[in-house]
Amino acid sequence: MGVSKKISESMKSSSWIRAMFEEGERLKKAYGAENIFDFTLGNPVEEPPPEVKAELFRLVAEDTKGMHRYMLNSGYEDVRAKIAAYHEEHSGLLFTKDHIIMTVGAAGAINVVMKALLDPGDEVIVPCPFFIEFMFYIGNHGGIMKLADTRPDFRLDLEKIGQAITKKTKAIIINSPHNPTGVVYTEEELRGLALLLEERKKKGQRIFLISDEAYRKIIYDGIVYPDFFTMYEDTITVTSHSKDLGLPGERIGYIAVSPLIKRHKPLIDAMIFANRILGFINAPALMQRLVGGFQRNSVDIGSYQQKRDAIYDILIEAGFDVVKPSGAFYIFPKSPLEDDIEFIRILQKQHILAVPGIGFGRKGYFRLAYCVEMSTIEGAREHFLRVGEMYNKKP
Amino acid sequence: MIVSKGIKKLIDQQEGWTRRMFEEAIEMKRTFGVENVYDFSLGNPNVEPPAALKEKLVELLLDPTPGMHRYMPNNGFEEVRGQVAAYLSDKYRLPFTSQHVFMSVGCAGGLNTVLKGMLNRGDQVIVPTPFFWEFKNYIENFGGIMRLVETKDDFQLDVEKIERAITDKTRAILINSPNNPTGVVYNEKSIKSLAHLLKAMRKKGRDIYIVSDEAYKKIVYSDARLPDLFNLYDLVISVTSHSKDLGLPGERIGYIAISPQIPEYELLVSGLMIANRSLGYVNAPALFQRAVGAFQTSSVSIAEYEEKRDLLYETLIEAGFECVKPTGAFYMFPKSPIRNEVEFVRVLQQEERILCVPGRGFGRAGYFRIAYCVPLSVIKNARPGFLRMGKRYYKR
Repeated sequence: MGVSKKISESMKSSSWIRAMFEEGERLKKAYGAENIFDFTLGNPVEEPPPEVKAELFRLVAEDTKGMHRYMLNSGYEDVRAKIAAYHEEHSGLLFTKDHIIMTVGAAGAINVVMKALLDPGDEVIVPCPFFIEFMFYIGNHGGIMKLADTRPDFRLDLEKIGQAITKKTKAIIINSPHNPTGVVYTEEELRGLALLLEERKKKGQRIFLISDEAYRKIIYDGIVYPDFFTMYEDTITVTSHSKDLGLPGERIGYIAVSPLIKRHKPLIDAMIFANRILGFINAPALMQRLVGGFQRNSVDIGSYQQKRDAIYDILIEAGFDVVKPSGAFYIFPKSPLEDDIEFIRILQKQHILAVPGIGFGRKGYFRLAYCVEMSTIEGAREHFLRVGEMYNKKP
Repeated sequence: MIVSKGIKKLIDQQEGWTRRMFEEAIEMKRTFGVENVYDFSLGNPNVEPPAALKEKLVELLLDPTPGMHRYMPNNGFEEVRGQVAAYLSDKYRLPFTSQHVFMSVGCAGGLNTVLKGMLNRGDQVIVPTPFFWEFKNYIENFGGIMRLVETKDDFQLDVEKIERAITDKTRAILINSPNNPTGVVYNEKSIKSLAHLLKAMRKKGRDIYIVSDEAYKKIVYSDARLPDLFNLYDLVISVTSHSKDLGLPGERIGYIAISPQIPEYELLVSGLMIANRSLGYVNAPALFQRAVGAFQTSSVSIAEYEEKRDLLYETLIEAGFECVKPTGAFYMFPKSPIRNEVEFVRVLQQEERILCVPGRGFGRAGYFRIAYCVPLSVIKNARPGFLRMGKRYYKR
């Protein structure tokens, strides 16, 4: 066989994704894409902000000599310094360029961090439901993922996290704003988590907090993002500019390592080395230059918030049980049927495409990604209401 | 320990002396001025992308079509893959389609994706040596085991030795031609006899893939020619990048070409999609995918490299060095006049301000690598230094 056993298993276990995808494609062909309401893809339709596009054009038109060459594996120093300044402003900590490593997106960043931290058999805790790719990122480098269920409102369950910690625990990955639930962890629950990890540290066990902040800037209702750097020493954040600057296909992100980590140089060196040997070498050059100056910018959050409101209202009207998201562009309602895959098929019959919760480790739910045109949400309304009428008991 | 034991071990093994030398070199450039240090240590050509490609980038950015920077399928834009496939079909007269092309984050990303897609823990990959050291890391990233096989004195493949290295666990042979560090292009005879061996193995039910790193495939000199690997053996996967031919090393853009003759290529492509995603590459950078599609036939100014090769080779021979004449890439791999080449490289650095890399960095002690992707003037200015070394060690 041409492929490894592990990859072949992954392919089999995700065969329903393909089946679903193919059914979606069939529906689009049969009824026209505009009549199918596709909420499956976390692929934002938002274009990069105009000033980002203008700067990209300027960089290319200006055509500085050497701008497409290799640079340090960690990335351009001036770009890293600009990002450090952003984090210094938000955390009050003394970030320098040496705390920042430019990466091939957040996915590349987590792989680099895992490669640097994990020996075979080391454990990484992930609150569940979760972004299924974390399982691969951890497994790629011999790590073992330990899931800790969140509460019914998807908030961190510190007791469960505490129970999941063993001598082998090397890190915990949190993701806020969260995929698939859209939840943003509050300062209070994060302080609780910090306290828990501090206690372990006092007992001699160092657990790294890895914060996936890919959706950090997509946050609603005037919430101020609680910065974990200010709460816990051993914090590493990974992020990308896929969502805030609308550049998912360009694969640009970075790792930020807390200035409070003592003797951090071996850690940084290991991550730079991992970036090289994992074949990333460096983050794409042109995009590095582009994003440096846009650390404070973002796509139009107002438009996402309108979409959040619209889809949430529709789901409530249709009688779904759902936690109102305060960030990212996902919503994770409860499926009226325990079998979420079956329910996804019912939605498909109503021309709505969604992802079953099982794809995020939580059966009985489904995920809608509402980073779509407003017209898609509006068009889907009557279809959601119809499904609601059939399956949700009205009070 | 703050980092994993695994990575600490790798860093200690690999970074010690290279880092020391690197730091000394920076210091030396500061003291004597960059123009007075002859740096042959980096395989990083300072070529600019062709003007037409730069124009293409501008054109792409002026295109108002939305979605230029969004995700696309993990193997890349269908249209771009089609352009690459057309180039490959034309070149190899085989039915490559967009399904046989997989856009990757450079050659290094492509190789990692292929190895992740293919290797089970404990599977072996044969690598002819001297070799590009990163291959070891790439193979071990996924629990693979590298089996080194010495090449012949002229750095051509020793197929008998390869045959002896094959075990039940052998999954692939990873070759790199034109070769880093030797500059050798594996000739028709080498490749044909390798293909012959692997075909015989296939008849016995053993499918061993050739993974061909073709990062330097466009830099082949007038006195050599790259054998038509795809037509000599079925199970071939080649990986390349546009770092060298289009001057885009920092942008991380390359592709994997999967032979249309691989019976299970669809399964393989699905596997590579998962590997590409799970390793965190997700997809090759969008803008540069679109940029390179139309430049598949672009080539490198071979004449310039050849002039550099000739001058450097003549200099080394005149000085008395023993050296295989390279026919591709921009590397030369002469024998060190003393057994301890690290010592010799140090002497070159300290006395002549010539920077090279010791052969043990490529699995072959007693040799050293010269990367001549430098301005011709650097070679001219380093010439007296090489000649003086010849006088000292070879009494010329």
